[in-house]
Amino acid sequence: MPLRRCAAERCGAKLVSAPAVLLVLALAAAFGSADAQAQRPRATGAPAGAPRAATQPARSARAQAPYDLTGYWVSLVTQNWRYRMVVPMRGDYAGIPVDPRAKRFADAWHPAADIAAGKQCEAYGAPSLMQVPERLHIGWQDEQTLRVETDAGMQTRLLHFGPAPSGAASLAPSLQGYSSAHWQLFALTNTFGAPEPMAHAPRYGSLVVVTDHLLPGLLRKNGVPYGADTRMTEYWQVQTLAPDQWLMISTEVDDPEYLTDPYVYDSIFQKEADGAQWHPGACSLSS
Amino acid sequence: MSPDAPGHRSPLESSPVQPPVRGASLLPAALMALAAVLYCAAAPAQVDLSGNWVAESLEDPVEHTDGSIPDMFAGLPLNDDGRQAGLTAPGDEMQELNRECQPWSAHYILIGPWGGRFAAVRNDQGHVIAWTLSSPAYDRLPMTIWMDGRAAPPPLALHTFEGFSSGRWQGATLVVNTSLLKDGYLEDNGLPSSNRETDVFFITRYGDELTILAVIRDPVYLEAPLVEGRTLKLLSGGSVTDDPILYCMPAETVPGFTDGYHSAIELPPREQRQQAFLTGLYHLPLIATLGGAQTMYPQFQQKLRSDQPPSQYCRLYCGRDEVLPGAPNIQTR
Repeated sequence: MPLRRCAAERCGAKLVSAPAVLLVLALAAAFGSADAQAQRPRATGAPAGAPRAATQPARSARAQAPYDLTGYWVSLVTQNWRYRMVVPMRGDYAGIPVDPRAKRFADAWHPAADIAAGKQCEAYGAPSLMQVPERLHIGWQDEQTLRVETDAGMQTRLLHFGPAPSGAASLAPSLQGYSSAHWQLFALTNTFGAPEPMAHAPRYGSLVVVTDHLLPGLLRKNGVPYGADTRMTEYWQVQTLAPDQWLMISTEVDDPEYLTDPYVYDSIFQKEADGAQWHPGACSLSS
Repeated sequence: MSPDAPGHRSPLESSPVQPPVRGASLLPAALMALAAVLYCAAAPAQVDLSGNWVAESLEDPVEHTDGSIPDMFAGLPLNDDGRQAGLTAPGDEMQELNRECQPWSAHYILIGPWGGRFAAVRNDQGHVIAWTLSSPAYDRLPMTIWMDGRAAPPPLALHTFEGFSSGRWQGATLVVNTSLLKDGYLEDNGLPSSNRETDVFFITRYGDELTILAVIRDPVYLEAPLVEGRTLKLLSGGSVTDDPILYCMPAETVPGFTDGYHSAIELPPREQRQQAFLTGLYHLPLIATLGGAQTMYPQFQQKLRSDQPPSQYCRLYCGRDEVLPGAPNIQTR
């Protein structure tokens, strides 16, 4: 009888004698159910209903990377064009679940005051940085830190893998905050029919990033604010259709001060061969 | 040898099964069970996509809820034919009686406000042979994503609004290839999609959230792939929408501009519409509204750069509940 890929409820059902059942039950309890669908909040580990993540040996984040994020990426502004490529009109909050305080803040906000105060970069904080039309230059700063630079606004984000250092809770807030990252790795391509040996399967995965310790800033260049207690969660994934490669970042911004609900948006980047189009520019509230 | 020929033995018949011997089978059975359990633990089952998924990220919130802005194509990689087709579309033709029930193509999951419901179709062995993606919205036909490796029908096979879709897993991502689509709309401002459109969807589950990255290719109307994303959230129960308008019913895309059967009353001239909607209402330069691949990239901002941000105050579809005084008379639905 061929050993087929099995749903958890059927696995081994016709193979075992009574003593083996006990063995099965013990092992099943140890390994859990492959189809189990526990609900988890955002960014707390493997996806519910998803394959079991491959056991991660004690290797560096760089060595574990399921794909190569390094290089140059360019924004594809195919969505929310009116809010990203031009400065949206004052009072245009469409798509952001602003609360009345945020509306009052934005209605009273004038860019001239921020420009005079040299606060243009408040529109380039981590919660809004990935929706700025820009190019990214991504590289490994060290084995446990991914460095993400932008040409627009010349910002740098550091994505820290591994346990947070002692004293992280008391870090001073900053425009880009403190980002904790980890890989969600999956080691098997699951197809209908015969199973693929684990050892020969390509590796896939996503990057999960949680950022806090943020300074207040702007979600939009027309004054929509976010507060100091903002926490953001991102899912980074790279997908390939040769010869093209895309990076999709799904971002959820949680702000108890100015948002009634999480603000979720998606950013798409396309891989570029080199940095020929990399043109660093200062933060701007007028473009 | 034909399977029906005399003397043919099927593979199942070629290895006669030996009768089991009581007691002697215990160790092999236990080993087989161990192997089965270890296999189940190491080889993951397919990600469970089942459930109702509601749109969480709402890109282009005005265009995808209140209605698209006529002649607004910025960020869309249109070729000349696509641009001309969009500009000549009246923009209100979907209020014609014969079009009110017209379904959207497969890419509707990206732009529709509803999200959708995934359900598994299993065979007798419990294998998922297909996923279905459906919606209570009348303008979304159920889409079947075949997971059993079946080949796509030939190019001249029947084209439908849902098309033919096949899927395969790459880790936790379901990669869906869709083809054989019927002519439809890319946006509901009349921008068309052709029956040569093909889509690739990368569907990834993260706990109770689902992301979709779509690559839309259309050699008739697009000069480059249109790549868009969306994030959906799993509902613990209920439907993907509480909106009662889930069935086909008359709806005006441009209020007051219909006689109930066709778009009998023409919209204002295009230049006037553009002035009202784009430069007047949304502060958009006309050069951008024509679309094209160049409008997708950051360097296009160099052609738009102005010294001052807009001073006008948004008065229509601004994320507010009220329409403020001074809004243009022309309204999308």
